[in-house]
Amino acid sequence: MSDTLLVILAGIFLPLFPMSMLFNAVIDKTTNALARSIIIVVWPLCGVVIVSNITVAQPIWLVPLVLFTSTLYAVRILTLRDVTQWTGFLATSLWALLWIPVLQGTSAELLYSYAVSMALPLMLLVTLSTGLQKRFGAAYTDLYGGLARTIPRFSGVLVVVVVAAVATPVFPSFFILFDIVVETIATEPAISSVLLLNWLLWSWAGARLIQGLIVGRASQVKILDMAKPTVGLYAIVLLGLAAGGLYMSGEIL
Amino acid sequence: MERLIITVAVLPLISALFIQLFAGQFGRSIVKVSVAVTTIGFLLSLVALGVALMGNDPVAMSMTGDKGIILFDPLGTLLAAIIMGISLIVHLYSVRYMAEEEAYGQFFVLLDLMTAALLFMVVAGDLITLVISWYLVGVLLYFLLGQDTRSQTAYRFAFWTLITYRVGDLPLILAAALLFNAYDTWSLTTIFAEISANPYTHQIFGLPLTEVVAVLIGLAAFARSAQFLLHTWLPYTMDGPTPVSALMHAGIVNAGGFLINRFAPVFVHSGDVLNWIFIVGLITAIFGSLLMLTQNDIKKALGYSTMGQMGFMIMECGIGAFSLAIYHMFAHGVFKGTMFLSAGGVINDARHDDGIPKDELYTFAVEKQPNKARQPWLLMAAITLVVPLVILVLAHLLIAQDYFQKQGAVVLLFFGWVTGAQLIFATYRMRSQNIWRLVGLSVLSLVVVVLGYVFISHAFDLFLYPDEAFRAQLYAAASFDLLRFDVLVVVTTLIIVFGWLMTYYSEQNGYRRTQSSRRLWLNFYALISREFYVSDIYTRLTRTILALSGRLNVWLRWL
Repeated sequence: MSDTLLVILAGIFLPLFPMSMLFNAVIDKTTNALARSIIIVVWPLCGVVIVSNITVAQPIWLVPLVLFTSTLYAVRILTLRDVTQWTGFLATSLWALLWIPVLQGTSAELLYSYAVSMALPLMLLVTLSTGLQKRFGAAYTDLYGGLARTIPRFSGVLVVVVVAAVATPVFPSFFILFDIVVETIATEPAISSVLLLNWLLWSWAGARLIQGLIVGRASQVKILDMAKPTVGLYAIVLLGLAAGGLYMSGEIL
Repeated sequence: MERLIITVAVLPLISALFIQLFAGQFGRSIVKVSVAVTTIGFLLSLVALGVALMGNDPVAMSMTGDKGIILFDPLGTLLAAIIMGISLIVHLYSVRYMAEEEAYGQFFVLLDLMTAALLFMVVAGDLITLVISWYLVGVLLYFLLGQDTRSQTAYRFAFWTLITYRVGDLPLILAAALLFNAYDTWSLTTIFAEISANPYTHQIFGLPLTEVVAVLIGLAAFARSAQFLLHTWLPYTMDGPTPVSALMHAGIVNAGGFLINRFAPVFVHSGDVLNWIFIVGLITAIFGSLLMLTQNDIKKALGYSTMGQMGFMIMECGIGAFSLAIYHMFAHGVFKGTMFLSAGGVINDARHDDGIPKDELYTFAVEKQPNKARQPWLLMAAITLVVPLVILVLAHLLIAQDYFQKQGAVVLLFFGWVTGAQLIFATYRMRSQNIWRLVGLSVLSLVVVVLGYVFISHAFDLFLYPDEAFRAQLYAAASFDLLRFDVLVVVTTLIIVFGWLMTYYSEQNGYRRTQSSRRLWLNFYALISREFYVSDIYTRLTRTILALSGRLNVWLRWL
């Protein structure tokens, strides 16, 4: 397979606009929760496998396209109300930036760990989205609200997962993005600047998502909250992610 | 000793974890654990401060190489004690105040996490720990302000705080990345040592690295300390619980002053940046005070009062009086914390008895019975202008003979003079029956305040910056061009004196205004009552971005 074709293929899995639309269509059309979760984790890994096999120098337009894609989806995510779509857009905006370490010659092993640690909080979010669909028939913000009062355990987990997904310390995405800033600030400040701008947009979008779901009065109808063992499972994964983030900070920074 | 500081920082984390895990078993009484742990932490922080006061050298303890460093230095230990003290008061207050809340335990978890984040922030000895804790303070504050999950308004304004704090996080991240690139270490002590040895070795984008970093640190501090244009979140975040307001106004908002102090070895080589910091602080102090005076809502007035104080604090940094900013932070924290926490009690007491003594102030302010006879205004004007100046000069001469060689000192004297003069001026305007008694009390209180301020700020100076040469360097770095400085002082003096004269004139003429001056005044009032349209501009900008986002989604079929 030619290298140009590989770059295009990689642009599907480490999503670059307009190839990114394919990933978002797949996420949107997949209804099975398990399949969705698997796609979220496997998709960027496929991208890393492909870019690891590209031997030619990357085209000059790649960095502008990476930054454009990331910013485009960071802006678009602000008005999304469907939690699953929201997750797909955030994934696109985040994973597009993985091209920067690729271009800087980061080792494949490290790229795999970047991809997995960025994907895990998104996978948790997709499963929570499924949980909302089961309980309310749709996973939409500003539709029912008041989850903090209606299903407090569920909303507690949701908040922490969103916080982890939008690259908050001490989760791995924070350190990955920090590392990209460190690596690019002196030589390519435009990359750092755009990344930081997008980081701000993700925080904004995250806050809108949280507010659209948890704030408001409690539902009059009794809704089943998340079971305690499930909360424990989420907590273990999130603690593992936080520990992984701290470990990663020692390795990459 | 290092273990002591680490214990202080880790205790709130343990408490938070304990409450989170065992709240179900122990019920609401579990918050006593949080109070007990905070009390122990406060006592330990006082011990650490005592050791630091005895003159021990700063100690750094690292967890992994040049990351995860806890720095035991005067600034860190002093602020750790202040944070623990304020946190303890807020904890004690919250035990009853928040008792009706559904998420009672969760509130204490957040409070403990916030205490831990603040502690790690002030004792951070490396850039990574500093950035992480700095960032987390903003995130935790968002959730503390949104404690009432039923209130859309609380979350709306909590979001303003979050986004402003995030704006402030970005320059700090950039500064950290630039410093690491230049010095290949995250350790603040090492970086500062290298900067002190060779301040202008590194350049970035054709500018000295120290100046670029100083600008970025300044921006981060501005966002955190609500400087003008980054201030809109502060007056509007009153929908959060009162203990959170107290914690925010007494502690968190002061973080800008801390950050500038932490990076003092960078600022000492960035004189121009300090000049700009002074101007931003000055503008904030003026705008904050102006907006405070024109608010109808008492809570917003308090918010703008804090903004004005933050302006003064940043201004103090801008004139090289770094340690004074820390003293200001402490004094303002205690003052504002007391105001917030006692507000509920005062309202409750006032329902039974207003408690206002029927003295001269009451006669003047409430019963509107001013004395018709007045003292000669020329005599009073002379007292107004001269007495505060004499008090300030004498007090400062007690500290150091060469004090007036420093521009920063002159600026502080100037503000002290303005404040004192304003006090006597206001006393004159009260038309008291016994004017000399009130003037005497005003002068006495001014003497007490000035002497207290001079001696305590000097003590802070000696404790935080024991190296006299470094202190002199800081003042020198903050110096303005002499001509510009003199012009600034003279113009400001003239404006203030003109303001007083105009007030005298207006009073003499019974506040009569011409048509044009009335229109001008109304326009000015409209401008202030709309808070200079800053919030409106941000709201418009926000709506534009959201509209663009929605339009893009429609065009691209939500894919």
